Amino acid sequence: MKFIKNHLMFILPLMVILLGVEFYLVFERTTNSYEKGLREGYTMLVVTKEPMTLSDLKALSPHISSSEPIEREEIVHKVLKGVTKSSTEGLLHALPYFYNVGLDAYLKVSVLEEIKQGLESSPQVKRVETFGSSYADSYRLFSFIKLVLKLFIGFMSVVSLFLIIKQMEIWKYLHKQRMQIMEVFGAPLMLRSGVLFKVAIFDAIIATMITSLIFFFIKYKWAAQSGIEIMVQKQEALFRMSDIGLLLGVALSIVILAVYIVVFSSKGVQE
Amino acid sequence: MANVISASHLNLSYDKGRKEVIRDANFTIKKGEFVFITGPSGSGKSTLLKALYGKIRPSEGNLIVGGMDLSTIKPRKLQELRTHMGIIFQDYRLVNEWTVAKNVVLPLMISGYSMEVQQTQAQRLLKHVKLAEHADKYPLELSGGEQQRVGVARALAKNPVVILADEPTGNLDEYSSNVIWDLMENACQQLETTVLVVTHKIPTIFSLPYRHFIIESKGVYEVH
Repeated sequence: MKFIKNHLMFILPLMVILLGVEFYLVFERTTNSYEKGLREGYTMLVVTKEPMTLSDLKALSPHISSSEPIEREEIVHKVLKGVTKSSTEGLLHALPYFYNVGLDAYLKVSVLEEIKQGLESSPQVKRVETFGSSYADSYRLFSFIKLVLKLFIGFMSVVSLFLIIKQMEIWKYLHKQRMQIMEVFGAPLMLRSGVLFKVAIFDAIIATMITSLIFFFIKYKWAAQSGIEIMVQKQEALFRMSDIGLLLGVALSIVILAVYIVVFSSKGVQE
Repeated sequence: MANVISASHLNLSYDKGRKEVIRDANFTIKKGEFVFITGPSGSGKSTLLKALYGKIRPSEGNLIVGGMDLSTIKPRKLQELRTHMGIIFQDYRLVNEWTVAKNVVLPLMISGYSMEVQQTQAQRLLKHVKLAEHADKYPLELSGGEQQRVGVARALAKNPVVILADEPTGNLDEYSSNVIWDLMENACQQLETTVLVVTHKIPTIFSLPYRHFIIESKGVYEVH
């Protein structure tokens, strides 16, 4: 019972960190596609005096990735129904050129302003409309959710790391007698701490397996049967086989770091 | 014969020099000598022994063991020096979760000997201390005398240059004590190992020539 308790006290905080890492990965993957949708759905309107190609616009801002001219004839035709052909041509001649300009990434509002200023610095550009207000709302909400999640995961990881180090100190106490004896007979620090490394690595593997199983369950059972459309659509993003390797790498790094901290924080084992 | 241990103007103290235990000790011990250190309780016998295996550092003077000055020795060198020592404790200090055989070969394990060598040596050493049939038992399954024989076998595992023993028979009955003295006499005689024993009184059955130091009023004096 004591044996199980000792291991659980190590595995549980480690699992909290691993769950945090996996949640972050899932969130990143899910939001990446959402971000892509936002990016693709967003365009700014650029009004120019002369026709401009995509490379002309790219020269003004490297973030511009696409440009789609708005057919002026169509606008004139809609506005001036029943007007003579000569008047239409005159109006068409006077009308500026309109472009829907797409960007290469989902950018901060301040960067949007920089792009706007860059475009307006050209004498050929008459006006730029970024639709910043609605863009800013989506962006701020999106950034806020990301920040909150990162802060939460970061906080939980720090607390869990302290718990892991505490548990490691308990283990060190449990193995004190053996470590003292080995020290007297000249065992180097790494050899007499070997038992801590062994236990920690074993628990890191167990924590990785349990975390992976939880996400397997979420992906193949819960998400599939939940009936929630986004869960079914994004099922692939919920867990990937490569995540097991990543989680194991994170778990091993944490436990090895924790053992090093405990072992090197006190040079000798006091009698 | 070369000196294995040499102390000159040696001071030993605790609490950063506030509590002085040994003052201005000067002595040398040669290879193959058997030495007893006696003295009343709290006189500093065990402190001197701890200094000899580098557990505490001299506060002043020099203490040279196996050619290494323990007042300035680096941790890595101290580890190396300890692998050439055999240490026996009054409370045996065996690893209770390990079998008797594994306890015996601890010094070989630390020095990186192969499993095959360890197994062969475990059998030889346990036969030597007449515990061959107990190889797979755990220390707590043995009597005090048997546990101390395991301790002696462990101390002999690497044919050490020096054996340091702290009250090795302090917890044992007369029969078990005699067995332990016999084993240590053999080690000194046959392997030319220097043996230094801290004890309350010198055993009457002892047959080898030996040197005797006494610790009194913080000084270390040889009794002739």
